[in-house]
Amino acid sequence: MKLVIDEKRCKGCNLCTSVCPYRIFKPGKKPNKRGILVPELDRPERCANCRLQKLYGRTLCGMCQLTCPDQAIRWEEERPNERRKVAIEY
Amino acid sequence: MSYFDWFREDRLPTIYCAGCGNGTVINCTLSAIDEVGWKREETVFVSGIGCSSRASGYIAADSLHTTHGRALAFATGVKLANPDLNIVVFTGDGDLAAIGGNHFIHACRRNIDLTVVCMNNQIYGMTGGQGSPTTPRGALSTTTPYGAAEQPFDLAELAIAAGANYVSRWTSYHVKELTKSVRAGLETPGFSMIEVMTQCPTNYGRRNKFKQVADQIEYMKTHAMLRKKYDTLLEKGEPIPEGAIVIGEFARRSRPAMGVRRAA
Ligand SMILES: Cc1ncc(C[n+]2csc(CCOP(=O)(O)OP(=O)(O)O)c2C)c(N)n1
Ligand SMILES: [Mg+2]
Repeated sequence: MKLVIDEKRCKGCNLCTSVCPYRIFKPGKKPNKRGILVPELDRPERCANCRLQKLYGRTLCGMCQLTCPDQAIRWEEERPNERRKVAIEY
Repeated sequence: MSYFDWFREDRLPTIYCAGCGNGTVINCTLSAIDEVGWKREETVFVSGIGCSSRASGYIAADSLHTTHGRALAFATGVKLANPDLNIVVFTGDGDLAAIGGNHFIHACRRNIDLTVVCMNNQIYGMTGGQGSPTTPRGALSTTTPYGAAEQPFDLAELAIAAGANYVSRWTSYHVKELTKSVRAGLETPGFSMIEVMTQCPTNYGRRNKFKQVADQIEYMKTHAMLRKKYDTLLEKGEPIPEGAIVIGEFARRSRPAMGVRRAA
């Protein structure tokens, strides 16, 4: 699974940047088409939900998704054969 | 299935300002409903008027968006007409405590089987930031330009005194605890009142020294105090820090309730 921010819904409030325990969300720098600074993802493969929610069959942490007031954060299935980075836990 | 399936995706994004806490509260409420597994056709969302009360319009289930302050009156009617329906009421501080104050205490007294989620942003958000009955002393609003002179209502204490079966208070920062608490409210027969302190960056934060949305969230994080700790401080006669927001589960009891779901 991969973490995505829906640019059509995000209003740029940056609440996700303060609640993620992995600090994956960074305040955006470039305004998008609607003039909104959508946060950027810093190595999203570190997110526990990306790696483990399939295995556990439930949403793990999910703080960003619950907090996002605009329902803009979700996890998506990768396309078949999509290249992806892997985070190694140690 | 996740709680996202309860949203009317065609209605998103919401009309709420960037950083408004109402969206977070809707997430937590729907997440709790999803956890208990309520059926969509047996669930009704009722709300009054206000930004917070627009919540019912974003949910894919039967809903009543009623007149200002009357959400509980309508919800009582729905519940007594068909006790087999599950009812969640979304309301604001102005809606519940100002114009709807009497409906509120009497719904608590009757202990009707409703779950009320009150998004308390301490202001009339929708109409431009007038002071509400929960605006703290000294806070600025358009109707209190020199700081509110009156003492605010404590909605949770009010609900306990009036007889509600389940009462708790959380903030929009405490999303996990809030979800758990809403779930407990849904599962408790009788009146459940979950008060959620939410940020209103546009009409409250901006006038009260919270320049950024994150500032008000930070304030809730640092000033929240669990009920237990608050009680010990009181007992020991120690001073309560200024601006503390007492959070936690305040009441869980089983007084006789009205309109409880009939056994299948
Ligand atoms: C009978 C009536 N009186 C007054 C109003 C104007 N009015 C609309 S919303 C509102 C206040 C809502 O405040 P609150 O319930 O706290 O909701 P918020 O917008 O803060 O979420 C008022 C006074 C109205 N719509 N109807
Ligand atoms: Mg309000």
